[in-house]
Amino acid sequence: MASNFWTSTHYKELKDPEEINVVHPLDAQRGISVEDFRLIKLHMSNYISKLAQHIKIRQRVVATAVTYMRRVYTRKSLTEYEPRLVAPTCLYLACKAEESVVHAKILVFYIRKLYADEKFRYEIKDILEMEMKILEALEFYLVVFHPYRSLPEYLQDSGLNDTSMTHLTWGLVNDTYRMDLILTHPPYLITLACIYIASVYKEKDIKTWFEELSVDMNIVKNIAMEILDFYENHRMFTEERVHAAFNKLATSP
Amino acid sequence: MAAADLGMLNLEEAPPVSGSRSVDCFEKLEQIGEGTYGQVYMAKENKTGEIVALKKIRMDNEREGFPITAIREIKILKKLHHENVIHLKEIVTSPDTTRMDLLKACGFVTIFVDDNKYKGGIYMVFEYMDHDLTGLADRPGLRFTVPQIKCYMKQLLTGLHYCHVNQVLHRDIKGSNLLIDNEGNLKLADFGLARSYSNDHTGNLTNRVITLWYRPPELLLGATKYGPAIDMWSVGCIFAELLNGKPILPGKTESEQLNKIYELCGSPDENNWPGVSKMPWFNQMKSTRPLKRRVREMYRHFDRHALELLEKMLVLDPSQRISAKDALDAEYFWTDPLPCDPKSLPTYESSHEFQTKKKRQQMRHNEEAAKKQKLQHPPQQHSRLPPQQHGGGQSHAAAHWPSGPNHPMNNAPPPPLPAGGPSGHHYYQKQRGGGAPGPNRYPPSGNQSGGYNNQSRGGSYSSGGPYPPQGRGGAPYGAGPRGPSSGYGVGPPNYSQGGGGQYGGSGRGQNPSGSARNQQYGWQP
Repeated sequence: MASNFWTSTHYKELKDPEEINVVHPLDAQRGISVEDFRLIKLHMSNYISKLAQHIKIRQRVVATAVTYMRRVYTRKSLTEYEPRLVAPTCLYLACKAEESVVHAKILVFYIRKLYADEKFRYEIKDILEMEMKILEALEFYLVVFHPYRSLPEYLQDSGLNDTSMTHLTWGLVNDTYRMDLILTHPPYLITLACIYIASVYKEKDIKTWFEELSVDMNIVKNIAMEILDFYENHRMFTEERVHAAFNKLATSP
Repeated sequence: MAAADLGMLNLEEAPPVSGSRSVDCFEKLEQIGEGTYGQVYMAKENKTGEIVALKKIRMDNEREGFPITAIREIKILKKLHHENVIHLKEIVTSPDTTRMDLLKACGFVTIFVDDNKYKGGIYMVFEYMDHDLTGLADRPGLRFTVPQIKCYMKQLLTGLHYCHVNQVLHRDIKGSNLLIDNEGNLKLADFGLARSYSNDHTGNLTNRVITLWYRPPELLLGATKYGPAIDMWSVGCIFAELLNGKPILPGKTESEQLNKIYELCGSPDENNWPGVSKMPWFNQMKSTRPLKRRVREMYRHFDRHALELLEKMLVLDPSQRISAKDALDAEYFWTDPLPCDPKSLPTYESSHEFQTKKKRQQMRHNEEAAKKQKLQHPPQQHSRLPPQQHGGGQSHAAAHWPSGPNHPMNNAPPPPLPAGGPSGHHYYQKQRGGGAPGPNRYPPSGNQSGGYNNQSRGGSYSSGGPYPPQGRGGAPYGAGPRGPSSGYGVGPPNYSQGGGGQYGGSGRGQNPSGSARNQQYGWQP
C-alpha cells in the first residue's frame, strides 16, 4: 500500500473539532449558529448521497465529495459558497478525482430532478464556475484517504469478516461522513471505531485483538462515542430545522 | 508488485500550500514550450529570484470544467516526492482566471479575447530543468559516454521504480519527458497521462497511451488491463535509442509499429507469450509470416551486459518483461565502467538561454530563405523534399543553413546518403517538423559502428555536415508543440483538440491516430 496514515501529512492536516466548528464571520452575521452550520453540512452530505444514488455513483466518490465539501467550509463561508451549488460541484469534482467521470449535463439533469426549487436548479456553467472556486478553496489538495481502505484488512485480521459484520461496519463508516470525523481523525482510527461499535453491537469479543494493535484505544473510544452521540441526536435533525437554518442564510444581515 | 524498499514508499502527501498564490509572484522570462494547447514558461520568482518552469493549464475548449488530466497530474504529483520525479512546487492562478476561463470554457468568449494578450490561467509551478534527454542527445557534437548512459538509465529506472511502487503508471515515457538539469540529475516529467492503478483493479484502462514509438505490443494489441510493464517497454526503447543513436522503432501507424516490433522481437505466439491469441486485436494485427527474434543480431555491437538488459526489457509478453527494480540489479549497472556520479557529468549550455533567441531568429530567417528556395526551384525538385536535399551536397547545405555559434562544424566526412533517402527525409520533414530539435541528433561521432540505417531516420545527410541549428521543420519554435526542453508536458488539458503531436513531445514519435484518439481517452477510466 502506498499510503500509511501514521506518518502521512494527512495526519498533520487534521484539525481539532474546535477549529471545524467555527462559524465564518459572514455566516455569523446572518445568525448562523454552530448547530445550524453542522445541520447544513449534514443536509448537504445527505443531498450528495442522494444525488449520487440517482446517478449511480459509487460510495467512495460520495465520501470524497463530502470530504471536499467539508474541507471547503473550514475555509469559506456558506454565504459566499452557496451550499446547494457547492455540494453537487464537489460531487462533480470528486467524480473526476476518483476516476468515475460523470458529465456535467447528467449531473445538472439530476439536480433539476431532485431540487424542486427553481432558484437552485443550476446549470452547467454554474457548476464549472464553482468547480474552479472549490479547487482554489481546496488549494488543489485533492487526495483523500478513506476509512474504507483499511476496513477489509482489519475485519479479516480480527476474524470478523462475515457478511453481516462487514455490512454493519461498512454502513457505520458511510454514516461517519455525516459528521466532520474525516477532517478530525485519521481514517484508520475511524475504521477501528466503527469496528469497535459493530463488535459491541453484535456482541463479539475482540478485546484482545484491539489490545494487540498498537493504537490508543482512548481515541478509538472517543470516536466511537462521537458516532453514537450522532445516532442519538439524529432524530433532532429535522427538515424544519434545516429549513430554518437555510432561511437564516437567505436573509441579509 | 515487488516489495518496496525502505524509503521508496512515499508515506507523505504534500502539505497544502497556504492559499493559491497569484502568478504575479513570478516574472515570465521566456516561453520554453509552446503548442496550440498550452505553454510552458521559464520564470523567475520575484521574491527569491528562483528560476522555475510554469506550465499553463489551458481551459478553453473544455466542456467539462477543470480537465481530468490536470486533476490526475496534480493528484499524482502531490503524492510523489522523489529526486528522480519532477517536483510540483505549487499551483498558482491569475486573479481573474476563473471567470474568464470559464466563460471561454462555455464558449462565450472565443472571438474577442486575444490569447496572447490574455494572461489568465492556472499554472503548475515546477522546478526548472535545463534539458530533456532528447534535446540533449540531439545536441550537435554531443556524444554520451557509457558511464553517462548508465547514469541516466539508472536514474530513469530509480524514478520509475518509485512511481511503480507508489502504484502510478507514467504511460508516456519518452526522451522528451525525461528532464535533465545541469547537475546531471534526471527526472521523470509530464504526468499528464499517468494513472494510479491497483493490482486488483477491475476497471479497464485505455490502451491509447504512450507515444507510438515507445508503445508496447500489448497496448497495440488492445490490452485494457495492464501494469508497470508498459513503462518498461518504453524504457527499453529509450535504452536502445541511447546506445543505437536513433529511435529503434519509428512506426508511422499502429500496424506499422507492431510490424516493426515483430521484425525486431519476433512475432508473438502462444509459446513466447501465453494468452496472446486472445488479445482483442490479435487477429487483425497478426504478422503475415512467423518472424524470428533478432534483438541480439541487430544490436550485436552493444556491450554484452547492455544487450542482456535490453533483451529483458524488450520482451513481448509483459508478464515476462523485467521490472524496474530487477533492471536496477542488472549486471550492466554493476560492471565497469560503472554509472558515473551525476555531478561529474559535464554541464551543457541551457537550451533556453539568450542564445536560443538568437537561434530562433536565425531559424525564422532560414525558414524564409528555405521557402524562397523552394519557390525558386519547384519544378526541379521533388516538391516534398526538404530544401537541404537540393544539390545533395554538404557544402550546399551549409550555404543554406549556416551553423550557429553553438554548433561547431564537424569536419568528419558525411556518411553516404541512404539509398532511399528522399522518401525518408520527407517523412520527417513533414510529420516531425514540430518541435523536433534538429535532424542532427546523435552526431556521427557517436556510434559510427552503430548500424546507421538512415533509411528510416532520414537524417544522415545532416549528421555528417555542419549542424544546422534549425530544426527539421524549419520552424520548431513557432509551429512545434514544444520548445527544446519541453518535458513539462504541455499536453492538452483535454484531449479534444485534434492535430498531431498531441503529447507535446518535441515532435518525436507523433501519434498518427490523431484527434480521434484524443477524443477517446480523456474520459475513459
